[in-house]
Amino acid sequence: MRVFPTRRKVLSYAAAGCLALGLQAPAQAADDIVIGASMPMTGVFAFAGIALNNAFQDYVKIVNDAGGINGRKIKYVAEDTGYKVDNSVAVFNRITSQEKVSLYYGDSTAFSKTINAELNRRGDIVLAGASFASELNDPKNFPYQFIAGPDYSEMIGILLEYIAKTKPGAKIALVNSDTEFGRDPIVPTEKRAAELGLKIVEKIATPPTSVDVSTEVLKLRRADPDYTIFHGYILAPLPEFMTQAKQLGLKTKFMGTFWSMDNAIWAKSAEVADGFMGVMPYRYYFDTEGKSPMLEKIRQIRPEYQSTGYMQGFLTAMLMTEAAKRTLDAKKDLTAANMKASLNSIKDFDTGGIIGVPISIPGNTVPVGRVYQYDGANKTMKPVSDWIKIAK
Amino acid sequence: MRIGAVHQTYAQAEALLDTNFQRVMLAALFAALVLFPFFADQYWIYLACLVLIHIVSTTGLNILTGYTGLVSLGQAAFMSVGAYTVAILEIRVGTPFIINLILAGFVSAAVGLVVGVPSLRVKGLYLAIATIAASFILHFLFANGPAFLGGTQGLSMPPARLFGYDLARPFQLYWLFMPLTALSVVAAANLFRTRIGRAFIAIRDRDISAEVLGIPLLKYKLLSFALSSFYAGVAGGMWAYFFRVVTPESFPLIYSVFFLAAVIVGGMGTILGAILGAIFMTMVPEFLKIAVSYLTFIPNATAQLSPIRTIVFGALIIGFLLFEPQGLAEIWRRVRRFFHIWPFKK
Repeated sequence: MRVFPTRRKVLSYAAAGCLALGLQAPAQAADDIVIGASMPMTGVFAFAGIALNNAFQDYVKIVNDAGGINGRKIKYVAEDTGYKVDNSVAVFNRITSQEKVSLYYGDSTAFSKTINAELNRRGDIVLAGASFASELNDPKNFPYQFIAGPDYSEMIGILLEYIAKTKPGAKIALVNSDTEFGRDPIVPTEKRAAELGLKIVEKIATPPTSVDVSTEVLKLRRADPDYTIFHGYILAPLPEFMTQAKQLGLKTKFMGTFWSMDNAIWAKSAEVADGFMGVMPYRYYFDTEGKSPMLEKIRQIRPEYQSTGYMQGFLTAMLMTEAAKRTLDAKKDLTAANMKASLNSIKDFDTGGIIGVPISIPGNTVPVGRVYQYDGANKTMKPVSDWIKIAK
Repeated sequence: MRIGAVHQTYAQAEALLDTNFQRVMLAALFAALVLFPFFADQYWIYLACLVLIHIVSTTGLNILTGYTGLVSLGQAAFMSVGAYTVAILEIRVGTPFIINLILAGFVSAAVGLVVGVPSLRVKGLYLAIATIAASFILHFLFANGPAFLGGTQGLSMPPARLFGYDLARPFQLYWLFMPLTALSVVAAANLFRTRIGRAFIAIRDRDISAEVLGIPLLKYKLLSFALSSFYAGVAGGMWAYFFRVVTPESFPLIYSVFFLAAVIVGGMGTILGAILGAIFMTMVPEFLKIAVSYLTFIPNATAQLSPIRTIVFGALIIGFLLFEPQGLAEIWRRVRRFFHIWPFKK
């Protein structure tokens, strides 16, 4: 008797298995509130995607352990996108084909823009994401989207407010990556700087991971700005810029925006980063100032340092569930219009310490942030300003 | 058992499909393609549309690389030209989508002609670098060019319209893309039954000999670039109607590598290879993703196994290059041959 199956049988079993896998749909309770996510867990943005994914899982568990929203559990369904827009849209289609999704997290500006027409057509999903693009802060054209923080223009607006207060009439240089992400806030920055009496003395655009920045540093030297604001980068080429500038004896103070403000990315170049400032919409993992029950809960769940991406994901999940909760409390259906209206009804909301002040969502953003400065000796970001709110 | 087909006339010998069985199978395939959207959900229709776009572009690159022997890493850049052409025509002029797609092909072909000029002097890696340069120049132009190109934010465009109806969703666009792709593939298959196609093959096999035979190299190399770019332009236009947001970053260099990989994995110099390569490169990562999502016994499997999925995909491509350098088309031929001579040889 033949003990081992023939090759043909093995192949047919495998084919049948694949077919069964393809046909099965994951189980979902009828009244689950589903959060879907196109997460960039591989590719250039993986460092943030994994943190964001952890944050969503943690917050959903916290809510479900506490009984869910009005007795309804939250289900979180995420898939990796590799930070590619076609993959992100495929993931959106796959998840929304299999689940009744009410809330969705997208991984990029390109995805948020691409999927917008479909969101408007469906009218049953509210979307937030990793993008802080100023273009998305437009309730008319992006009615069912929001940003769990200030948009990029508002972030730089916060920095400009700080500069105007600290050094009136200061000279500023803008260094932006030559990408959609990098060029996003240039025009609003120039406008706001003029209103605040600040002078933009130099504008530099470089490739996002540029290595040789000596020419750009020479331009900075000629312009001799009091502040240099980077935007559109994660890390490179910021350390190179700062090293060369220090070697040339420039006195300019360097600043950055959210995605270059994570504590961990500067730990390996702490000496160079000493004094680096920037805007941060959330409090840092290690921040113990004041009452912060939600931060303490995070520290209990995850005893090791969690990045700024984690904080962004956590607050996004909080705001999404709050929108669903307010809609259900008002005995309304979970339509996109109802959930977005609930989101906009959030006024002076206590985030449990994720943001240091009560927040409101007047439009598509949470227009608040704080200026932090990196302390190279202690390898931590420390606040140097109060929380600054931006009025639109 | 079928061991061959008897051709009694030249017309029979030259036919694309030479047996009734082939015709029946093709009819069945078309029936399946027509019925597919009525049975599939939005996700699978979305992927089908993406595969159709990729087949058009890969077929174009196969004309250039597989049949003419000219390496190009500029296919995504040519697609971007097509996508921008369609977006600008749709936003500024409002011409019907079919005219926009044809014009996208012609504008890309014109750009392809210019990029193809170095092909007379340089070959292989040198030509590949020249085409990469073209993609950087085009990226710079789209990001920093005139205001109507939308700068780094790019262009958001309305959907294609037919008789007053929007073709906005994958289900609707499928009926536009499927016939367009079929037409593109049939046109490419026919191309290689003409004097032009045979000239391309002669240039690929030995360009000096081709010249001795009286084939003007510059003319045919440029023609190959233009045709390949025409396909890329149409594919880019389809892409633009599909995603409806076109930015300079929509068509990165890695996308050109994707198409080159599709040509190689599918099988260079075969029409079927371009189709199979495009399907493989688009669908295998999705199947791997589905497989990972079912490994629920591993905690946080999606996050833990995502990098492994990428490695498996890479290993599959390397496996093909090592064990079947002639690609999926050759595997398909072997399977057919097996059935032709079955049951005499397994």
